[in-house]
Amino acid sequence: MRSWLAIVLMVVLGVLMIIAVIQLPQPGSPDAPAQTHVSAYYVEGGKELGGAENLVTAVLLNFRALDTFGEVVVIFSALVAVLAVAAAVAGTGPAGITRTAAETESVEVSPLVAFMVRLLAPFIATFAVFVMLKGHVLPGGGFQGGAVLGAMLILLALFAHRPKPSRFGHPAGLFWLRATGVLAFVLVGLLGLAMTGWMFAMPHDPLAREAMMIALELGIGIGGAAVLIGLFRALADG
Amino acid sequence: MGIAEFIDLLLLGLLIVCALGVAMLRDLVAAVIMFSIYSFILCLLWAIRGAPDVAMTEAAVGAGITAVLFLTTIAVVGRREKK
Amino acid sequence: MDNLITHIDYIAAVVLFLIGLYIMLVRQNLLKKLLGLNIMETAVFAFIVTTGMVHDGSPPLLAADASGPFASALPHALVLTGIVVAVSITALALALIIRIQREYGTIELQELLNHSASGQSHSGVRQ
Repeated sequence: MRSWLAIVLMVVLGVLMIIAVIQLPQPGSPDAPAQTHVSAYYVEGGKELGGAENLVTAVLLNFRALDTFGEVVVIFSALVAVLAVAAAVAGTGPAGITRTAAETESVEVSPLVAFMVRLLAPFIATFAVFVMLKGHVLPGGGFQGGAVLGAMLILLALFAHRPKPSRFGHPAGLFWLRATGVLAFVLVGLLGLAMTGWMFAMPHDPLAREAMMIALELGIGIGGAAVLIGLFRALADG
Repeated sequence: MGIAEFIDLLLLGLLIVCALGVAMLRDLVAAVIMFSIYSFILCLLWAIRGAPDVAMTEAAVGAGITAVLFLTTIAVVGRREKK
Repeated sequence: MDNLITHIDYIAAVVLFLIGLYIMLVRQNLLKKLLGLNIMETAVFAFIVTTGMVHDGSPPLLAADASGPFASALPHALVLTGIVVAVSITALALALIIRIQREYGTIELQELLNHSASGQSHSGVRQ
Protein backbone atom coordinates (compact mmCIF):
# COMPACT_ATOMS: atom_id res chain seq x y z
CA MET A 1 0.00 0.00 0.00
CA ARG A 2 1.30 3.44 -0.85
CA SER A 3 2.63 5.50 1.99
CA TRP A 4 0.41 8.55 1.46
CA LEU A 5 -2.71 6.38 1.22
CA ALA A 6 -1.83 4.74 4.52
CA ILE A 7 -1.32 8.14 6.18
CA VAL A 8 -4.71 9.36 4.97
CA LEU A 9 -6.28 6.18 6.36
CA MET A 10 -4.48 6.70 9.67
CA VAL A 11 -5.75 10.26 10.00
CA VAL A 12 -9.35 9.26 9.27
CA LEU A 13 -9.22 6.30 11.67
CA GLY A 14 -7.47 8.44 14.27
CA VAL A 15 -10.16 11.10 14.25
CA LEU A 16 -12.90 8.48 14.54
CA MET A 17 -11.20 6.60 17.37
CA ILE A 18 -10.32 9.74 19.33
CA ILE A 19 -13.93 10.94 19.09
CA ALA A 20 -15.05 7.58 20.46
CA VAL A 21 -12.45 7.44 23.22
CA ILE A 22 -13.00 10.96 24.56
CA GLN A 23 -16.51 10.11 25.63
CA LEU A 24 -15.34 7.51 28.14
CA PRO A 25 -15.18 8.54 31.79
CA GLN A 26 -11.93 10.19 32.78
CA PRO A 27 -9.14 7.67 33.41
CA GLY A 28 -8.54 7.40 37.13
CA SER A 29 -11.82 8.70 38.43
CA PRO A 30 -13.09 6.54 41.27
CA ASP A 31 -16.78 6.93 40.46
CA ALA A 32 -16.79 5.53 36.96
CA PRO A 33 -19.32 2.73 36.45
CA ALA A 34 -16.50 0.21 35.96
CA GLN A 35 -15.19 0.97 39.44
CA THR A 36 -18.44 1.18 41.36
CA HIS A 37 -20.25 -1.85 39.98
CA VAL A 38 -17.81 -4.44 38.67
CA SER A 39 -14.69 -3.78 40.73
CA ALA A 40 -16.58 -3.37 43.99
CA TYR A 41 -18.12 -6.82 43.52
CA TYR A 42 -14.68 -8.39 43.23
CA VAL A 43 -13.27 -6.43 46.17
CA GLU A 44 -16.09 -7.38 48.51
CA GLY A 45 -16.51 -10.98 47.54
CA GLY A 46 -12.94 -11.70 46.55
CA LYS A 47 -11.59 -13.23 49.69
CA GLU A 48 -14.49 -15.45 50.72
CA LEU A 49 -15.74 -16.49 47.31
CA GLY A 50 -12.45 -16.32 45.47
CA GLY A 51 -10.19 -17.91 48.03
CA ALA A 52 -7.09 -15.83 47.41
CA GLU A 53 -5.89 -12.48 48.71
CA ASN A 54 -4.41 -11.53 45.38
CA LEU A 55 -7.57 -10.54 43.55
CA VAL A 56 -6.05 -11.05 40.10
CA THR A 57 -5.25 -14.68 40.93
CA ALA A 58 -8.73 -15.13 42.36
CA VAL A 59 -10.24 -13.81 39.13
CA LEU A 60 -7.94 -15.88 36.93
CA LEU A 61 -8.19 -19.20 38.73
CA ASN A 62 -11.61 -19.13 40.31
CA PHE A 63 -14.03 -16.63 38.84
CA ARG A 64 -12.82 -17.04 35.25
CA ALA A 65 -11.11 -20.41 35.27
CA LEU A 66 -12.49 -21.29 31.85
CA ASP A 67 -10.63 -18.38 30.23
CA THR A 68 -7.37 -19.46 31.85
CA PHE A 69 -7.97 -23.00 30.57
CA GLY A 70 -8.37 -21.55 27.09
CA GLU A 71 -5.12 -19.59 27.46
CA VAL A 72 -3.17 -22.71 28.50
CA VAL A 73 -4.60 -24.68 25.57
CA VAL A 74 -3.68 -21.83 23.18
CA ILE A 75 -0.03 -21.74 24.16
CA PHE A 76 0.21 -25.53 24.04
CA SER A 77 -1.30 -25.70 20.55
CA ALA A 78 1.11 -22.95 19.45
CA LEU A 79 3.95 -25.27 20.43
CA VAL A 80 2.38 -28.17 18.51
CA ALA A 81 1.90 -25.96 15.43
CA VAL A 82 5.51 -24.68 15.57
CA LEU A 83 6.83 -28.23 15.80
CA ALA A 84 4.73 -29.14 12.79
CA VAL A 85 5.93 -26.17 10.71
CA ALA A 86 9.63 -26.16 11.49
CA ALA A 87 11.11 -28.63 9.09
CA ALA A 88 14.32 -30.37 9.92
CA VAL A 89 16.91 -29.10 7.47
CA ALA A 90 20.57 -29.84 7.21
CA GLY A 91 23.03 -27.72 9.07
CA THR A 92 21.45 -27.64 12.50
CA GLY A 93 23.95 -26.66 15.10
CA PRO A 94 23.61 -26.24 18.85
CA ALA A 95 20.99 -23.76 19.88
CA GLY A 96 22.52 -20.35 19.53
CA ILE A 97 23.37 -17.66 17.10
CA THR A 98 26.25 -19.48 15.42
CA ARG A 99 24.97 -20.71 12.10
CA THR A 100 26.62 -22.32 9.14
CA ALA A 101 24.75 -20.20 6.58
CA ALA A 102 26.89 -17.78 4.69
CA GLU A 103 24.70 -14.75 5.18
CA THR A 104 25.08 -14.38 8.95
CA GLU A 105 28.15 -13.84 11.02
CA SER A 106 28.78 -16.05 14.02
CA VAL A 107 28.94 -14.59 17.51
CA GLU A 108 31.42 -15.95 19.99
CA VAL A 109 30.24 -16.41 23.55
CA SER A 110 32.45 -14.46 25.91
CA PRO A 111 33.49 -16.47 28.98
CA LEU A 112 32.44 -13.62 31.28
CA VAL A 113 28.85 -13.81 30.05
CA ALA A 114 28.82 -17.60 30.34
CA PHE A 115 30.13 -17.43 33.90
CA MET A 116 27.61 -14.80 34.99
CA VAL A 117 24.71 -16.71 33.49
CA ARG A 118 25.75 -19.90 35.21
CA LEU A 119 26.22 -18.04 38.49
CA LEU A 120 22.81 -16.34 38.42
CA ALA A 121 20.75 -19.29 37.19
CA PRO A 122 19.97 -20.93 40.58
CA PHE A 123 18.84 -17.60 42.06
CA ILE A 124 16.55 -16.92 39.11
CA ALA A 125 15.07 -20.40 39.42
CA THR A 126 14.46 -19.95 43.14
CA PHE A 127 12.78 -16.62 42.53
CA ALA A 128 10.58 -18.13 39.83
CA VAL A 129 9.40 -20.95 42.09
CA PHE A 130 8.78 -18.43 44.90
CA VAL A 131 6.64 -16.28 42.61
CA MET A 132 4.70 -19.36 41.55
CA LEU A 133 4.00 -20.65 45.05
CA LYS A 134 3.13 -17.32 46.66
CA GLY A 135 0.88 -16.28 43.82
CA HIS A 136 -2.27 -16.12 45.86
CA VAL A 137 -0.87 -13.71 48.47
CA LEU A 138 1.74 -11.54 46.75
CA PRO A 139 1.73 -10.20 43.20
CA GLY A 140 2.65 -13.04 40.97
CA GLY A 141 1.01 -16.28 40.06
CA GLY A 142 1.24 -19.10 37.65
CA PHE A 143 2.31 -17.63 34.37
CA GLN A 144 4.58 -14.97 35.84
CA GLY A 145 6.78 -17.61 37.46
CA GLY A 146 6.60 -19.73 34.32
CA ALA A 147 7.78 -16.84 32.13
CA VAL A 148 10.75 -16.10 34.43
CA LEU A 149 11.69 -19.80 34.54
CA GLY A 150 11.38 -20.09 30.77
CA ALA A 151 13.56 -17.02 30.27
CA MET A 152 16.21 -18.53 32.54
CA LEU A 153 16.18 -21.78 30.57
CA ILE A 154 16.55 -19.85 27.32
CA LEU A 155 19.52 -17.94 28.75
CA LEU A 156 21.18 -21.18 29.76
CA ALA A 157 20.57 -22.72 26.36
CA LEU A 158 22.00 -19.67 24.60
CA PHE A 159 25.07 -18.83 26.61
CA ALA A 160 26.19 -21.67 28.77
CA HIS A 161 25.69 -24.45 26.18
CA ARG A 162 24.87 -26.52 29.20
CA PRO A 163 22.35 -29.12 28.06
CA LYS A 164 23.47 -31.24 25.19
CA PRO A 165 20.56 -31.47 22.78
CA SER A 166 20.11 -35.19 23.17
CA ARG A 167 20.16 -35.20 26.96
CA PHE A 168 17.80 -32.29 27.47
CA GLY A 169 15.32 -33.19 24.81
CA HIS A 170 14.41 -36.77 25.52
CA PRO A 171 11.19 -36.81 23.54
CA ALA A 172 9.02 -39.05 25.70
CA GLY A 173 9.60 -37.42 29.10
CA LEU A 174 9.68 -33.87 27.78
CA PHE A 175 6.37 -34.25 25.97
CA TRP A 176 4.53 -34.90 29.22
CA LEU A 177 6.33 -31.99 30.87
CA ARG A 178 5.14 -29.63 28.16
CA ALA A 179 1.57 -30.83 28.54
CA THR A 180 1.60 -30.20 32.30
CA GLY A 181 -0.46 -27.04 32.04
CA VAL A 182 -3.34 -28.61 30.18
CA LEU A 183 -3.21 -31.83 32.21
CA ALA A 184 -3.17 -30.02 35.56
CA PHE A 185 -6.15 -27.93 34.56
CA VAL A 186 -8.19 -30.90 33.36
CA LEU A 187 -7.41 -32.98 36.46
CA VAL A 188 -8.21 -30.17 38.90
CA GLY A 189 -11.37 -29.37 36.93
CA LEU A 190 -12.54 -32.97 37.13
CA LEU A 191 -11.72 -33.01 40.83
CA GLY A 192 -13.86 -29.93 41.27
CA LEU A 193 -16.61 -31.64 39.32
CA ALA A 194 -16.42 -34.62 41.67
CA MET A 195 -16.44 -32.46 44.78
CA THR A 196 -19.03 -29.82 44.05
CA GLY A 197 -20.92 -30.81 40.93
CA TRP A 198 -19.58 -27.99 38.71
CA MET A 199 -16.50 -28.26 36.53
CA PHE A 200 -13.59 -25.96 37.54
CA ALA A 201 -15.41 -25.04 40.75
CA MET A 202 -13.57 -25.03 44.05
CA PRO A 203 -15.03 -26.44 47.26
CA HIS A 204 -15.65 -24.19 50.24
CA ASP A 205 -13.20 -25.95 52.52
CA PRO A 206 -10.26 -23.47 52.66
CA LEU A 207 -7.53 -26.11 52.86
CA ALA A 208 -8.76 -28.04 49.82
CA ARG A 209 -9.27 -24.81 47.92
CA GLU A 210 -5.76 -23.58 48.62
CA ALA A 211 -4.29 -26.97 47.67
CA MET A 212 -6.13 -26.94 44.36
CA MET A 213 -5.02 -23.38 43.63
CA ILE A 214 -1.36 -24.18 44.31
CA ALA A 215 -1.62 -27.29 42.12
CA LEU A 216 -3.08 -25.19 39.31
CA GLU A 217 -0.38 -22.52 39.62
CA LEU A 218 2.44 -25.05 39.63
CA GLY A 219 0.91 -26.75 36.61
CA ILE A 220 0.57 -23.50 34.67
CA GLY A 221 4.06 -22.38 35.68
CA ILE A 222 5.97 -25.55 34.85
CA GLY A 223 3.91 -26.17 31.73
CA GLY A 224 4.44 -22.60 30.55
CA ALA A 225 8.20 -22.75 31.12
CA ALA A 226 8.51 -26.08 29.27
CA VAL A 227 6.44 -24.74 26.36
CA LEU A 228 8.57 -21.58 26.10
CA ILE A 229 11.86 -23.46 26.03
CA GLY A 230 10.28 -25.90 23.55
CA LEU A 231 9.36 -22.97 21.28
CA PHE A 232 12.90 -21.61 21.44
CA ARG A 233 14.41 -25.01 20.63
CA ALA A 234 12.04 -25.58 17.73
CA LEU A 235 12.94 -22.20 16.22
CA ALA A 236 16.66 -22.50 16.79
CA ASP A 237 17.14 -26.01 15.55
CA GLY A 238 14.62 -26.22 12.76
CA MET B 1 1.26 20.19 36.91
CA GLY B 2 2.81 17.99 39.53
CA ILE B 3 5.84 15.76 39.18
CA ALA B 4 3.72 12.62 38.83
CA GLU B 5 1.87 13.88 35.81
CA PHE B 6 5.12 15.11 34.30
CA ILE B 7 6.66 11.65 34.56
CA ASP B 8 3.49 10.16 33.10
CA LEU B 9 3.64 12.45 30.07
CA LEU B 10 7.36 11.80 29.65
CA LEU B 11 6.84 8.04 29.60
CA LEU B 12 4.00 8.31 27.11
CA GLY B 13 6.12 10.52 24.86
CA LEU B 14 8.99 8.02 25.02
CA LEU B 15 6.59 5.23 24.07
CA ILE B 16 5.54 7.05 20.91
CA VAL B 17 9.18 7.84 20.03
CA CYS B 18 10.12 4.16 20.41
CA ALA B 19 7.22 3.04 18.22
CA LEU B 20 8.24 5.53 15.53
CA GLY B 21 11.81 4.25 15.83
CA VAL B 22 10.65 0.71 15.15
CA ALA B 23 8.83 1.96 12.06
CA MET B 24 11.75 3.86 10.60
CA LEU B 25 14.83 1.73 11.28
CA ARG B 26 16.07 -0.44 8.43
CA ASP B 27 18.36 -2.66 10.44
CA LEU B 28 16.18 -5.40 11.91
CA VAL B 29 18.35 -6.04 14.98
CA ALA B 30 18.10 -2.35 15.91
CA ALA B 31 14.32 -2.50 15.43
CA VAL B 32 14.05 -5.48 17.78
CA ILE B 33 16.11 -3.67 20.41
CA MET B 34 13.85 -0.60 20.08
CA PHE B 35 10.91 -2.95 20.60
CA SER B 36 12.54 -4.24 23.80
CA ILE B 37 12.92 -0.66 25.06
CA TYR B 38 9.26 -0.02 24.20
CA SER B 39 8.21 -3.10 26.13
CA PHE B 40 10.26 -2.09 29.15
CA ILE B 41 8.83 1.45 29.27
CA LEU B 42 5.37 -0.11 29.04
CA CYS B 43 6.26 -2.29 32.05
CA LEU B 44 7.26 0.85 34.02
CA LEU B 45 3.98 2.52 33.06
CA TRP B 46 1.96 -0.40 34.36
CA ALA B 47 3.92 -0.57 37.59
CA ILE B 48 3.06 3.12 38.18
CA ARG B 49 -0.62 2.47 37.43
CA GLY B 50 -1.02 -0.17 40.14
CA ALA B 51 -0.73 -3.35 38.06
CA PRO B 52 2.27 -5.30 39.43
CA ASP B 53 1.22 -8.68 37.98
CA VAL B 54 0.93 -7.33 34.48
CA ALA B 55 4.23 -5.45 34.83
CA MET B 56 6.07 -8.62 35.89
CA THR B 57 4.64 -10.63 33.02
CA GLU B 58 5.36 -7.94 30.44
CA ALA B 59 8.95 -7.56 31.65
CA ALA B 60 9.63 -11.29 31.43
CA VAL B 61 7.77 -11.91 28.19
CA GLY B 62 8.18 -8.76 26.13
CA ALA B 63 11.79 -7.87 26.70
CA GLY B 64 12.99 -11.39 27.44
CA ILE B 65 11.22 -14.01 25.40
CA THR B 66 9.83 -12.17 22.39
CA ALA B 67 13.11 -10.35 21.71
CA VAL B 68 15.15 -13.58 21.97
CA LEU B 69 12.79 -15.40 19.60
CA PHE B 70 13.04 -12.51 17.11
CA LEU B 71 16.85 -12.49 17.26
CA THR B 72 16.93 -16.25 16.71
CA THR B 73 14.85 -15.78 13.56
CA ILE B 74 17.02 -12.89 12.34
CA ALA B 75 20.06 -15.14 12.59
CA VAL B 76 18.44 -17.38 9.99
CA VAL B 77 16.79 -14.79 7.81
CA GLY B 78 19.08 -11.79 7.47
CA ARG B 79 19.58 -8.42 9.04
CA ARG B 80 18.70 -5.72 6.56
CA GLU B 81 15.31 -4.76 5.32
CA LYS B 82 15.38 -4.02 1.60
CA LYS B 83 13.92 -0.88 0.04
CA MET C 1 -11.28 20.45 23.88
CA ASP C 2 -10.49 20.13 27.56
CA ASN C 3 -11.25 16.43 27.25
CA LEU C 4 -8.22 16.01 25.02
CA ILE C 5 -5.92 16.86 27.91
CA THR C 6 -7.59 14.79 30.61
CA HIS C 7 -7.92 11.73 28.39
CA ILE C 8 -4.29 11.86 27.26
CA ASP C 9 -3.72 8.23 28.31
CA TYR C 10 -6.42 6.91 26.00
CA ILE C 11 -5.24 9.10 23.14
CA ALA C 12 -1.67 7.82 23.51
CA ALA C 13 -2.94 4.23 23.27
CA VAL C 14 -4.88 5.12 20.11
CA VAL C 15 -1.79 6.74 18.54
CA LEU C 16 0.33 3.67 19.31
CA PHE C 17 -2.30 1.42 17.76
CA LEU C 18 -2.30 3.51 14.59
CA ILE C 19 1.52 3.46 14.39
CA GLY C 20 1.42 -0.34 14.59
CA LEU C 21 -1.25 -0.45 11.89
CA TYR C 22 0.87 1.79 9.65
CA ILE C 23 3.86 -0.53 10.04
CA MET C 24 1.73 -3.54 9.12
CA LEU C 25 0.29 -1.88 6.02
CA VAL C 26 3.28 -0.12 4.49
CA ARG C 27 6.46 -2.01 5.30
CA GLN C 28 7.29 -4.88 2.96
CA ASN C 29 9.46 -7.04 5.18
CA LEU C 30 7.53 -9.79 6.98
CA LEU C 31 9.52 -9.43 10.20
CA LYS C 32 8.76 -5.70 10.31
CA LYS C 33 5.07 -6.48 9.85
CA LEU C 34 5.25 -8.85 12.80
CA LEU C 35 6.82 -6.11 14.95
CA GLY C 36 3.94 -3.84 13.94
CA LEU C 37 1.46 -6.52 15.04
CA ASN C 38 3.14 -6.72 18.43
CA ILE C 39 2.96 -2.94 18.83
CA MET C 40 -0.77 -3.03 18.05
CA GLU C 41 -1.34 -5.76 20.62
CA THR C 42 0.55 -3.98 23.40
CA ALA C 43 -1.27 -0.73 22.64
CA VAL C 44 -4.60 -2.51 23.19
CA PHE C 45 -3.28 -3.95 26.47
CA ALA C 46 -2.25 -0.48 27.64
CA PHE C 47 -5.74 0.80 26.86
CA ILE C 48 -7.43 -2.02 28.79
CA VAL C 49 -5.24 -1.60 31.88
CA THR C 50 -5.81 2.16 31.88
CA THR C 51 -9.57 1.67 32.11
CA GLY C 52 -9.09 -0.06 35.45
CA MET C 53 -6.81 2.57 36.93
CA VAL C 54 -7.73 4.74 39.92
CA HIS C 55 -5.90 7.89 41.00
CA ASP C 56 -3.63 7.09 43.99
CA GLY C 57 -5.04 3.60 43.97
CA SER C 58 -3.28 0.59 45.37
CA PRO C 59 -2.79 -2.74 43.60
CA PRO C 60 -5.65 -5.21 44.04
CA LEU C 61 -4.13 -7.14 46.95
CA LEU C 62 -6.31 -7.65 50.01
CA ALA C 63 -3.53 -7.91 52.56
CA ALA C 64 -4.39 -7.31 56.20
CA ASP C 65 -3.57 -3.60 56.16
CA ALA C 66 -4.56 -2.66 52.65
CA SER C 67 -7.01 0.18 52.35
CA GLY C 68 -8.15 2.85 50.04
CA PRO C 69 -9.40 2.58 46.49
CA PHE C 70 -8.17 -0.50 44.70
CA ALA C 71 -7.31 -0.69 41.04
CA SER C 72 -9.80 -2.93 39.30
CA ALA C 73 -8.65 -6.55 39.07
CA LEU C 74 -10.62 -7.66 36.04
CA PRO C 75 -8.64 -5.77 33.35
CA HIS C 76 -5.40 -7.19 34.78
CA ALA C 77 -6.66 -10.74 34.32
CA LEU C 78 -7.80 -10.07 30.76
CA VAL C 79 -4.43 -8.53 29.83
CA LEU C 80 -2.51 -11.47 31.33
CA THR C 81 -4.39 -13.87 29.08
CA GLY C 82 -3.82 -11.49 26.19
CA ILE C 83 -0.05 -11.39 26.71
CA VAL C 84 0.11 -15.20 26.59
CA VAL C 85 -1.88 -15.27 23.36
CA ALA C 86 0.41 -12.59 21.88
CA VAL C 87 3.48 -14.72 22.61
CA SER C 88 1.84 -17.72 20.95
CA ILE C 89 0.99 -15.74 17.83
CA THR C 90 4.53 -14.33 17.61
CA ALA C 91 6.15 -17.77 17.95
CA LEU C 92 3.97 -19.35 15.27
CA ALA C 93 4.48 -16.42 12.89
CA LEU C 94 8.27 -16.62 13.35
CA ALA C 95 8.24 -20.34 12.55
CA LEU C 96 6.25 -19.62 9.38
CA ILE C 97 8.70 -16.85 8.38
CA ILE C 98 11.66 -19.23 8.75
CA ARG C 99 9.84 -21.75 6.60
CA ILE C 100 9.06 -19.14 3.94
CA GLN C 101 12.70 -18.11 3.85
CA ARG C 102 13.78 -21.68 3.31
CA GLU C 103 11.26 -22.29 0.56
CA TYR C 104 11.50 -19.07 -1.40
CA GLY C 105 14.76 -17.47 -0.37
CA THR C 106 13.28 -14.10 0.53
CA ILE C 107 10.87 -12.51 2.98
CA GLU C 108 10.05 -9.29 1.13
CA LEU C 109 6.41 -9.17 0.16
CA GLN C 110 6.94 -7.80 -3.36
CA GLU C 111 9.41 -10.50 -4.29
CA LEU C 112 7.13 -13.19 -2.89
CA LEU C 113 4.27 -11.90 -5.02
CA ASN C 114 6.55 -11.97 -8.08
CA HIS C 115 7.43 -15.56 -7.30
CA SER C 116 3.85 -16.69 -7.12
CA ALA C 117 2.94 -14.65 -10.21
CA SER C 118 5.60 -16.44 -12.23
CA GLY C 119 4.09 -19.70 -11.09
CA GLN C 120 6.95 -21.66 -9.63
CA SER C 121 9.02 -21.53 -6.51
CA HIS C 122 12.67 -20.79 -6.98
CA SER C 123 13.72 -22.12 -3.71
CA GLY C 124 16.77 -21.82 -1.59
CA VAL C 125 17.50 -24.97 0.29
CA ARG C 126 14.71 -27.46 0.04
CA GLN C 127 15.06 -30.60 2.14
